[in-house]
Amino acid sequence: MSAADGPVVFDPADFGAIPSARVLRRWMRKVRRGKADRTFSQQFEDIYLIVFAVVMLGATGGNVLLNLNDKSAACTSSSCSWLLDTVPFILVPLLVSTMLRALLSIGPVSASRATAFWLLATPVDRAALLRPSYRLVVTAAALVGALAAVVGWALFGAAWSTVGEAAVLTTVLLLFTTCATVWAQQSATRSRWALRIADALLIIAAIPALLLAFRQSQPSSQTAGVAITPFDEVQEPGLLALDLRLLVVGVLALAVAAVLVFVTARTLDRLSRQTVVAGGDLLAGLAGAAITLDVSLLADVVAGRHWRLKGRLQSRRGRGSRAIALIHREFLRVLRWPRRLVIAFALLIVPYAVAGTGYDVLVPIAAGLAGFGAVRPLMDGLRSVCRSIGLVRALGMELRELRVIMSVVPGGFAVVWAALAEPALGSPAVAFAVAAGILTGAVRQASARPPSYSGPLVASPMGAIPPGLFSTPMRGFDLLLICLAPVLLGLSDLWIVIVPSIIGMILFSISPKQN
Amino acid sequence: MTKAVPRLAVNGLRHLYAERPVIEDLTFTLRAGQAIALVGPNGAGKTTVLKCIVGSAEPAAGEILLDGAPIDERAETVRRDVASLLDDLDFFPDLTAAEHLDLLARAHGNAEPEDLVDTVLDDVGLLGAADQLPGSLSSGQRRRLALATALVRPRKLLVLDEPEARLDAEGVAWLATMLVEEKKAGTSILFASHDAALVDAVADETVTLTPLP
Repeated sequence: MSAADGPVVFDPADFGAIPSARVLRRWMRKVRRGKADRTFSQQFEDIYLIVFAVVMLGATGGNVLLNLNDKSAACTSSSCSWLLDTVPFILVPLLVSTMLRALLSIGPVSASRATAFWLLATPVDRAALLRPSYRLVVTAAALVGALAAVVGWALFGAAWSTVGEAAVLTTVLLLFTTCATVWAQQSATRSRWALRIADALLIIAAIPALLLAFRQSQPSSQTAGVAITPFDEVQEPGLLALDLRLLVVGVLALAVAAVLVFVTARTLDRLSRQTVVAGGDLLAGLAGAAITLDVSLLADVVAGRHWRLKGRLQSRRGRGSRAIALIHREFLRVLRWPRRLVIAFALLIVPYAVAGTGYDVLVPIAAGLAGFGAVRPLMDGLRSVCRSIGLVRALGMELRELRVIMSVVPGGFAVVWAALAEPALGSPAVAFAVAAGILTGAVRQASARPPSYSGPLVASPMGAIPPGLFSTPMRGFDLLLICLAPVLLGLSDLWIVIVPSIIGMILFSISPKQN
Repeated sequence: MTKAVPRLAVNGLRHLYAERPVIEDLTFTLRAGQAIALVGPNGAGKTTVLKCIVGSAEPAAGEILLDGAPIDERAETVRRDVASLLDDLDFFPDLTAAEHLDLLARAHGNAEPEDLVDTVLDDVGLLGAADQLPGSLSSGQRRRLALATALVRPRKLLVLDEPEARLDAEGVAWLATMLVEEKKAGTSILFASHDAALVDAVADETVTLTPLP
């Protein structure tokens, strides 16, 4: 149309029937294919690499799992039997709780901002437009359920038929969970209730874990020497009967789940654009962080979203001045997100539970990793100053000085945490090494620079990457391991104390680099 | 009679970006209570000059003196006396607007900053948003909060990069008034700006930068 024709006037005759989502997607695929800059052989090579990696990992992991299952199944003591009986009561509520939280944080049905703006605003069937995202979530939940159940049950020596039964039931349970979260996504009140249920399930999971943790304090003579029949003979009345039960239960459960998944898919048009975009934004942020393999950045994205959704808080005045003021503010900050503290203390169960299983060698490592998981989220303040040179200037202190000051509160928490884990760890020296490892590791991870793509890059099969990209996820854990090395090597208490002390002194005396 | 030492002296400043000069032989002085505006098109090097002054960028040649001594961003006097607002300021995601200002004032040695914080929040028009977290502030409000961070701390030199950015017309007018008041209080101001009205209202001198070929 030329300019002489005048402005465009709406003419209903220009518009026909609303296209289906399928037609729209097909059109978009066609347009995108026209712009593709990768040949078929390049794509085939990528797919081949992915399939090869999955097969290799599956084969290796499967083999390790088979061996561990054999070894665990050979254990016929009552404590092993008790462990196997208890694990489902920890694993299942924990899995459902984690799944509820994870799914609700991404939606679970999500869409990119572009999809929301360009497609969801049109009269095209919204449920059909959102169905691919829904299918993806359902598939992921089913896979996670099956995988977690197989690993969880097999690790503790369950018979393979029991593992299969557990996998089917857990998968179905997580499919129910997914459908419930889609229903919850439709209103803020439902979402809040779903989150409360997730918290309740976490508490339910903690009860048997606590029982397991305190079981280690019972005298071993109560169980030692008692002849116990192996699991397979106790738990499996007959292979045929069990197989039949598995078949019937599995088919029934899967049928119910399939119906529920189908019915839920028909309700997707009730989802608002706002709720699906929030998850899309989070996924985009997480994907960006995942590309850099930066764990801290992933945590930043999650924490940033948490506070954005919160929006407003009652301001609290500080106390003192200079370093005291910063330490006090850090203390208030830690109290501001109580769930993190609850989880941090709940993680104390880990060293006790590992000690309860009798794998004493693993206790310091398990305690170190659990403590790391407990303390690292308390370092948001340090993370903020380390990623913003402007904030450091505004605070009027050197970054090295700020790093020390902002580590005081998490450091104190690490000491308390390790002291509470001391009975499981066995000695105050080991507890010291664990506390030092947790603190230095978490500080190193929180204050590290993200990989920079603006500097020199190195060639790799994945394209150009910054040097040291692949060591990024290990950052922090390396110091934890070094601090725990004297414990793992069975050195004397003197070395167990000296090595982490030196690591701590070096870490806090050097200035972190900034971009 | 001895000549007063300028608050800030920039002599023969040269800066390279990817081995290409972006600033060549820049010289100017800024006295106490004076304001200088850096003007020029995008890419002329205004932000780079400010970054060199606050220590975010390393000059290839030349010297920058604060009260007659070479400027070093690690020195306590510089951290205490130079308040800057460049594009690299981020916020703590879990502290409210009021808590940010409270923390900053205390970090600079003010043990009882409650009244100061309330006054500054009122001045920058954020009293109603005192309890809001930075993620829930609009971009203009975030800019006002960033400006407020410079007002709750001691300062002899204010270094501002396009302080008018993202502010509405009323905000720019408030900013001009605030900067004039700062000058009267003896603060030296060096700012880069594209807003001719703001430059006219605040600057005693302008330094025009042009992109180097």
